[in-house]
Amino acid sequence: MGATSVLERPHIVDLAPMTSVDTDPRALFEEQAVPFLDQLYGAALRMTRNPADAQDLVQETFVKAYAAFAQFEQGTNLKAWLYRILTNTFINVYRKKQRDPYQGTTSDLEDWQLGNAESATATGTSSRSAEAEAIDHLPDSAVKDALQSIPEDFRLAVYLADVEGFSYQEIADIMKTPVGTVMSRLHRGRRLLRGLLTEYAEGRGIPVTAKDAPKGSSR
Amino acid sequence: MTDCGCTKAKAELEEFLHNELASDDAADIREHLAGCTDCESELHVGRVLTDAVQRACKEVAPEQLRDQVLFSIRQIQSTH
Repeated sequence: MGATSVLERPHIVDLAPMTSVDTDPRALFEEQAVPFLDQLYGAALRMTRNPADAQDLVQETFVKAYAAFAQFEQGTNLKAWLYRILTNTFINVYRKKQRDPYQGTTSDLEDWQLGNAESATATGTSSRSAEAEAIDHLPDSAVKDALQSIPEDFRLAVYLADVEGFSYQEIADIMKTPVGTVMSRLHRGRRLLRGLLTEYAEGRGIPVTAKDAPKGSSR
Repeated sequence: MTDCGCTKAKAELEEFLHNELASDDAADIREHLAGCTDCESELHVGRVLTDAVQRACKEVAPEQLRDQVLFSIRQIQSTH
């Protein structure tokens, strides 16, 4: 009798928090949504480009998400749902107050930017391996700077695909654009980024093109 | 360049890299890449780029933000 109650007690204690998670939306939200805080903050930093706005944006996103949590269908993709709220909030609230005139519009500058960036990227096999090597060794700060300097729509598409691993369809849902638009933003964003990083490496005297690569002919 | 598969491979490299291709299309690209150093090197740059962005973008939210978020959620709860 005594032995049985000792055995059963931890069982009951184990169940208690689970029961409260099932019935208490706040406990459920804290368990499921709050763990995405670091990721959402990372995305918010890339969106707003400064820590103070990023913190406000994340805070507002969680408040909205919590208020709408009853509408979230359990079993569907919570991360994508949170990113949708984050992106909406950013577009509706924060994009408006950002000063950079290039923030929202990409069509005017993309051609010359792409032209410049593209001419910097390598074309032959040996120069590509030098380019990969150079990009691989760049400091994180250089990569962040490059990312910050590309148009917002491109930056966001690259971030969502390459950092968060969202599918093209999920990115289309988050950014409210057709999949074809996502693909073109990603493609152009990555080409721009690659060009900027290659330029940066060249500016630092890191060999990138075949003619600069040491004894490149043997590779 | 015309019929060696490079045109198709280069066009689809990015979708391949993001695992967006149907399995038979991906298999075609994989087969082409195995025999084409030019396209292989292009894919390699693409992967390195993705890795560099991933590495650079790892962030940890300030502790104070976590506290603030939890605080506001609990505030909302208590007012309902």
